[in-house]
Amino acid sequence: MKPIKAHVVLGLGAVILAALAISLWLPNDSATGLMVRLRGRTQIGDALAPTAAFVIMAVSGLMLLFERSDQTLEGMGRSTGFLAVLVILFAVSLLLMRWTGPLAVTIAGFLGDVGHSYRELRATFPWKHLGFATGGTFMVASLISLVEGRFTAKAVLVGALTVLGLILVFDLPFSDLLLPPNGDV
Amino acid sequence: MTDILQYVWLGILAVFTGTPLFTVMGMGIPAAPVMVAAGLFTGIAVGATPGLAGPMAMAISLPILLSFFGFTPDALLPVFGFLIGIMKGSTVGGAVPAILFNMPGTPDSLMTTFDGHPMARAGQPRRALRIAQLSSVSGDTFSDIVLFVCAPFLAVVVEAYLDLPEKAALLILSISFIAAVIGGSVGKGLLSVSLGLIAAFVGTGQALSPRMTFGIDELSRGFSVVGAILGVLIIGETLTSLEDLWIHRKKARIDESLPDSVVDGLEKGDVRRILPHVLRSSVVGSVIGALPGVGSALAATLGYTIGKNYHAKRMKPGDAVFGAGAPEGIAATEAANSAVSGANLIPVLSLGIPGNAAAVFLILAADSIGGFNPGPQVFRFDTAQINPELVIAFGIFTLMSIGNILNWVIGGRFMRAMGILARIPLQYLLPVVLLVTMTAIYVQDTSLFALWVAFAFGIVGYVFRRCNIPVLPFVIALVLASPLEQTAREAFAATGGDPFFLFNSPTSTIFILAAVASVIFFARAAK
Repeated sequence: MKPIKAHVVLGLGAVILAALAISLWLPNDSATGLMVRLRGRTQIGDALAPTAAFVIMAVSGLMLLFERSDQTLEGMGRSTGFLAVLVILFAVSLLLMRWTGPLAVTIAGFLGDVGHSYRELRATFPWKHLGFATGGTFMVASLISLVEGRFTAKAVLVGALTVLGLILVFDLPFSDLLLPPNGDV
Repeated sequence: MTDILQYVWLGILAVFTGTPLFTVMGMGIPAAPVMVAAGLFTGIAVGATPGLAGPMAMAISLPILLSFFGFTPDALLPVFGFLIGIMKGSTVGGAVPAILFNMPGTPDSLMTTFDGHPMARAGQPRRALRIAQLSSVSGDTFSDIVLFVCAPFLAVVVEAYLDLPEKAALLILSISFIAAVIGGSVGKGLLSVSLGLIAAFVGTGQALSPRMTFGIDELSRGFSVVGAILGVLIIGETLTSLEDLWIHRKKARIDESLPDSVVDGLEKGDVRRILPHVLRSSVVGSVIGALPGVGSALAATLGYTIGKNYHAKRMKPGDAVFGAGAPEGIAATEAANSAVSGANLIPVLSLGIPGNAAAVFLILAADSIGGFNPGPQVFRFDTAQINPELVIAFGIFTLMSIGNILNWVIGGRFMRAMGILARIPLQYLLPVVLLVTMTAIYVQDTSLFALWVAFAFGIVGYVFRRCNIPVLPFVIALVLASPLEQTAREAFAATGGDPFFLFNSPTSTIFILAAVASVIFFARAAK
């Protein structure tokens, strides 16, 4: 069986996506059409520019279909797997950033140390840095470990030092800047 | 002429009498020149670090700069100063690992390895670095002079002769040209442009309810342009490089087997020897740089190839050939790739059209701060009162001149000290870049959703790179989509709702035909 050419898949995908967007998405997700008549004057509607963009996409798809290229889809499975791992590591990092602080405050509350919510404490040390420190260190250390194929203390150290550096750059000199996740909680 | 000289003077004054950054012995030190120096040193360090690039450093530093200097017009020159410093420094710094370790710090310094590294291996690393610095700074300075002369002239012509339909047609021509010329496939260039336009149109529009949001509230204000650009440019590049490292599971090997120096440093006759190559490559780089979207890698290739042919015809017995440690080879490459940076700002300042990633960040800085909108309207000399945007423009020219002077005087010394940065393992550097980028995005948007959006655009950037789709057309289309739509709406209204408004003047018709012709020409050339 002949290997599938990448430009054919890309071209077909572009043409199909453009056709679906022009026929289904844009008419149903734009308040005005290609043209709109307002106060007796014809004006360009909100759907015109995106339609033009999708027409360009369709043209590009057709050009790709007739292109000569030997690039195949070989290695795509490996890349998809790698991307999936990256997405998981990123999601875990963000979860740690978002929830470490509130969780620590809840635990401290059970122990009777604090009588406040995380939202009330998010501008105070050390609470404000807990999520960023754990999530950030995890992000750096896990990616280093992924690439090296082993988990090392050095990877954690690089992550922790990066976090420390960012706190020194962003948090220490600027009282109005918020590190993750303190703008969301 | 008097008006021009007055604005030149006002620009210089704006730089040297601006808000002081700190005080030394009771004297306020103006922020802008200090920031140029800081940016220049940062840029040299970034250029000298394989895996990092000037736009990356510009992207990461922009939110920090905005936080520090605020969003008032007083912030414009210090912020531009730092970004311009990075731009200039990174072009020089790229030669360091290319010469010392045979690793191009930036893609456009690949050809510097051909002659720079053999010269370093022959025991003359300082001579190679000095030639690279002299050539690079000469090319950059030449290109800046071209910018200072051409940008105001072009802007005045555009403002005098182009009306709304012509301006809309010019934007279409620019985007089409960029799509056609970048990368090896016009189809992929157009696909990149279309995706950039679509991303920019999400959540915007003039109707009360936002378009293309699938009813998702978070999309109703559209994607953050900074987040999207950082995602595609920086995160996409980081993910791709991480996968490459993951596949090969090996550290980038650094060639540390340089012999002890023999007689090192510039030799007698070196400057005379490289001068013709520097001049020729400076012209090549400036011409290439003035065209939106055509990058410094092409300029370096052209400069090197032309220089090689010239050298082959005129070389004397005993001269090194190109590829075997010829000083002329280093000069031809470095002058050409550095001459792109100044000329790249011609379309930005005179037309508001970014030609490369570095220019995109200058536009983003201007958009974020306000008070300066790059485009032909900046160069209005005939206003009744002082035109503040024109003062800023001449302030930018002053900042670029300061950057060049610093580069001439101390750039070389700093450059030689940066060789150590090439030894930082990429597997440590890339995750750090990812976290720094994410933090910079959060600081600006204060939303974890923005991080997800940036990561999603990072995946888009990763897919682009894996499919050989050029990234720059996407970024430039993203930046130009809003001005293009707005100009088209105004042109349509101004022509009384003429559906053929893009064809109602010879100039706009020529622009549109040129846009179509560029696509057809480059599509045929690619076959």
